[in-house]
Amino acid sequence: MKRFKKIAVALFITLLMIQILLHFDYDETLYNTASQSYYVENGLEETSSKNLVTAIYLDYRLFDSFFEASLLLIVVTGIAFMTIKDEDML
Amino acid sequence: MIFSKILITISRIILPFLLMFGIYIILNGDISVGGGFQGGVIIATSYLLYYFIKGQHPFSLSKMLKIDKYLFIFLPVMVLISYFTRGYFFTNWFDLTYAYEIRRLFLVLLNLVIGLKVAIGFVSLFVVFIEEGNS
Repeated sequence: MKRFKKIAVALFITLLMIQILLHFDYDETLYNTASQSYYVENGLEETSSKNLVTAIYLDYRLFDSFFEASLLLIVVTGIAFMTIKDEDML
Repeated sequence: MIFSKILITISRIILPFLLMFGIYIILNGDISVGGGFQGGVIIATSYLLYYFIKGQHPFSLSKMLKIDKYLFIFLPVMVLISYFTRGYFFTNWFDLTYAYEIRRLFLVLLNLVIGLKVAIGFVSLFVVFIEEGNS
């Protein structure tokens, strides 16, 4: 019975994925591509970066990546605080 | 801890190329694929290979956390310099009238800082796990 349940769940997930793939057409009128076309047209001139990902995370959304770096520091210090037993090491 | 000879030999072959690849990805982050985060993770992985070769880790955790904190102070300073040169926060230091090669310096420097920070963070995570596994 348990195996049937697992197979049913797997089949359901596969059907959902196939549904998504069938409905995924590259019609530009369906999706909002304003920001994408803006980045493609003005990214190189405004940020001088040929890689658009770098243009976004180091210029347009620098605020975001700055706090992402702070998040990494907090995670590392938190894990070190939880696992190290020596009190004078931290 | 002693690992198998096959793992040690393969790690010795791969290690310099992996380090060079990480530095390449960080320095070319703005003209090709990659960036600071990916290159930092690759450098941290090369540190893991070094641990496979030696069987011990040379860096102490408290020093690395200290370097991480100082780098985190250094990052907002670099980000806020643009207020004095252009008048806006969180953008490039140089104006739009400068050449691409000069304005590229900001991206390369910030990629370097982010890559160093990510590498040190992941290496300290690895050190924490290694010490936890050995104890």
